[in-house]
Amino acid sequence: MSLALSNGLDNTVERPGQRAPLVLGDSTYHSITEAVCKIAEQPPSRAWVIGFLVAVHLATMLGLCIAYLIYTGVGVWGNRAPIFWGWPIVNFVFWVGIGHAGTLISAILYLFRQEWRTSINRTAEAMTIFAVVCAGTFPGIHVGRAWLAFWLAPYPSLNLWMWPQFRSPLLWDVFAVSTYATVSLLFWYMGMVPDLATFRDRSKNPFRRAAYGVLALGWSGSSRHWMRYEKAYALLAAFAAPLVLSVHTIVSFDFAVSQVPGWHTTIFPPYFVAGAIFSGFAMVITLMVPARTIFNIEKLITIRHLENMCKIILTTGMIVGLAYGTEFFIAWYGQVPEEKFAFINRAFGPYWWAYWTMISCNVISPNIFWFKKARTTPWIMLVVSIFVNIGMWFERFVITITSLSRDYLPSAWAYFSPTWVDWCMLIGSFGLFFTLFLLFCRLMPIINMAETKATLAKELHMAHGAGHDGGH
Amino acid sequence: MNSNFQTADAMTDSNTNVQTIRDGQTVHGVVAEFSDVDSLLAACRKVRDAGYTKADAFTPFPVHHIDEALGIKPTVLPWIALAAGLTGTTIALVMQIWMNGIDYQYIISGKPYISLPAFIPVTFELTILLASFGTFFGMWALNGLPKFSNPMFTSPRFDRATDDTFFLYLNAKDSQFEEAGAKAFLDELGGQHVEPVLDDDSSTTIPKGLLIGLAATIALSFIPALVVARMRVTKSTSPRFHIFPDMDFSPAKDAQQTTTLFVDGRSSRPDVPGTVSRGEFDWDLDFQTGIDMEQLAVTDSRSAERLVAWMQSDTETSEEDGDPAASDASGSPEEAMVDKTPWLTENPVEISASVLSKGQQQFNIYCSVCHGVNGRGNGLVNRRAQDILATTWTPPSNMHDATLHEDVYPDGKLFSTITNGIRKMPGYAGQIKTRDRWAIVAYVRALQASQDASLADVPAEQRAAIEAEQNEVEAELEAAAAAAEAALDEADADESEN
Repeated sequence: MSLALSNGLDNTVERPGQRAPLVLGDSTYHSITEAVCKIAEQPPSRAWVIGFLVAVHLATMLGLCIAYLIYTGVGVWGNRAPIFWGWPIVNFVFWVGIGHAGTLISAILYLFRQEWRTSINRTAEAMTIFAVVCAGTFPGIHVGRAWLAFWLAPYPSLNLWMWPQFRSPLLWDVFAVSTYATVSLLFWYMGMVPDLATFRDRSKNPFRRAAYGVLALGWSGSSRHWMRYEKAYALLAAFAAPLVLSVHTIVSFDFAVSQVPGWHTTIFPPYFVAGAIFSGFAMVITLMVPARTIFNIEKLITIRHLENMCKIILTTGMIVGLAYGTEFFIAWYGQVPEEKFAFINRAFGPYWWAYWTMISCNVISPNIFWFKKARTTPWIMLVVSIFVNIGMWFERFVITITSLSRDYLPSAWAYFSPTWVDWCMLIGSFGLFFTLFLLFCRLMPIINMAETKATLAKELHMAHGAGHDGGH
Repeated sequence: MNSNFQTADAMTDSNTNVQTIRDGQTVHGVVAEFSDVDSLLAACRKVRDAGYTKADAFTPFPVHHIDEALGIKPTVLPWIALAAGLTGTTIALVMQIWMNGIDYQYIISGKPYISLPAFIPVTFELTILLASFGTFFGMWALNGLPKFSNPMFTSPRFDRATDDTFFLYLNAKDSQFEEAGAKAFLDELGGQHVEPVLDDDSSTTIPKGLLIGLAATIALSFIPALVVARMRVTKSTSPRFHIFPDMDFSPAKDAQQTTTLFVDGRSSRPDVPGTVSRGEFDWDLDFQTGIDMEQLAVTDSRSAERLVAWMQSDTETSEEDGDPAASDASGSPEEAMVDKTPWLTENPVEISASVLSKGQQQFNIYCSVCHGVNGRGNGLVNRRAQDILATTWTPPSNMHDATLHEDVYPDGKLFSTITNGIRKMPGYAGQIKTRDRWAIVAYVRALQASQDASLADVPAEQRAAIEAEQNEVEAELEAAAAAAEAALDEADADESEN
């Protein structure tokens, strides 16, 4: 069995009749604990400190921009008639999309018993939460009077004397995104509790021990607890799986239920969901490739994990490409003049540069993953994943801006120009995201130790069983 | 063996932390360590077979088949999740149907008040949300967590339960538990470091500083709520406290307000020098008042001066001010009965078809509601007033009455009446432009002509045709009269014959 787990084995090679190992090297339960806990126990590296300082400054910039916006009014954005959904909504849809990979990896891959998810799911879930935090910020401030955003909640108001409008996709969106954020948070936190108990039990500092002790809720690792815990985890996965699909479906309803040419299409829900998974996995790769090197966890997040994600990016990239083509086909086949115009205008109108950036990044660039060399070379993945992130931001830009800038009233047509506040908020949202992510890397178990140990146990058992002719 | 067992084996040698039982301490059970899953599972099965039902294992990760090995019964958690999920479904449907379908009904995008398809997304989301809450909180509740004091945690060796060591625990609550026997049993099963689990004798009092801090925080957190509550019940003469202005205060100035923007401090700005405002070219007192001012200056210079001064002070005529020329034309009451005002007798606007049609349009909009479209004083308002027997109502004049004809009621006077009003009729200066009021005067004259004209008013070239038609009609009437007479005579003759 030590042969199968020997160091330096290429676990991307498929061997018939044998599962490729997902935990590499001479890993033991204790070495997994050591590898993961060390990240949080060691003093921060120079790279982390520099990255954190940059991220915190950008996040502060976002905060100041929001303060300026609330103090001055939404006129500080580039949103002008008829483009009332400018970058805030583009950023919202972009970040919600990013937030899809985490729960997808955790829930859907869990239900399909894809064990390779175990070492990446924690980071992906954290990424989901932080992306949803960024996403939720934008509609919150886009409502104009942000201090009245609570009017979206169905509460008996003595000032309004009325209820929310439940037949509007914008309200569905409030429920979808807030439910998704809540359930993702529960799922993430619940998954972390056993690992937080590990942190607690390793802590020497009494304050640290107390803090992790409170977060770990007194977890002891009892088998009775584990039994209910695993049942709860499976149930949450089963609830979260349709939820993942519903969130971007409902976000797409914000567009598809309206009558704006280029938005009013039934393809939007599946197209948005595929795009969300596409962008989410790209963001996971963008984060994982540097993180596994910096934190020295290459034996846990192996090339095989990354290769699997590349395959998902390739697949969803093709689905997104097909969706772009189908939109054009339906615009022609439907013979609605406004729709036809909207799509020709997207590709060849004033925003042609955005459209072709989107096509190059989303449809053309992932095709490099047809080559195994590209799928197993981290720096190529990193470059392509950044391209995909750019492309997916442009996809939301193209959908939102081109359709609104050419509505049914030609006299109102306009060209969108972002203001400095738009730029600072977009960049600042990345600052917020990375601030949270880097804090998570320092303070929380970034790899699901319990599940990785269970995977190792299974691999040990299989190797052991093979050596003993079928085991017990 | 393989590498992952080495750490556990190494630990066996460093046997340092053996617990000693002190007086009065309860023994909760006995715990033993195992270094790998397979030996743990084998031991668990033997423990189960020996009749222990409350035994437990503590492992760093979920071990497959251990529930069967220990005889742990399945959990009711899925049922809690189902119940919570169904609660979510019900709450969502009832909430939406009540809020949009019953309590606050309004039609939007052609959907019915209770449109179930539109309620699906929120229902779905709340179902998932509550099912997830049920699962999450249900799991912790069933596990009895959070629980920060646990006798298991008293042994420092137990810290490895979340790292790489597996613990098997025989609970003292099991009926056949007996400390020495249990220890021997665990030894026999291959357990290392067999130890009793004792009461946690660490201090249970919360540090005083923490308590004071907590109490202070709670007390301070009430202050904002108390301040708000007090403000809600007390009255204040100072303006409302605005955290967010909410566009309550417009930066635009109202008329008559002062401003610091201009040197003169006036927010209402005069015309820019060298510009002409709309209608300014109509600025002519005769045109504005309907009075021949030159004549008035001769007959009643005092009134003329006052009128000029008044007109120059404010171009807007308002109902309350009235026209001093109309009321104060003369001194004594008898003289007031006789109108000596030199009214313009001719319309200063050049009459054309377009002026007349403009006058007609304006008349139909503003005048016809009382005076009627034909000017006979039977407009809708008047008819309604007659119907309800309105006691304060003065019927509007009939435009075709002889007292309103041009010879006794000159154009200027008619214009002045429209401008300033008379009896119940308000002045229309604020609503109808000066030029349009003159157009109405022209139209009223046309209306009068249409009802009270003589043949002499008809242009000469059309007079012949009218005369011819008149002759024809007269001839027909005569013929008819003759025929009727003849028939009457015949009837008389018949009667006399009979």
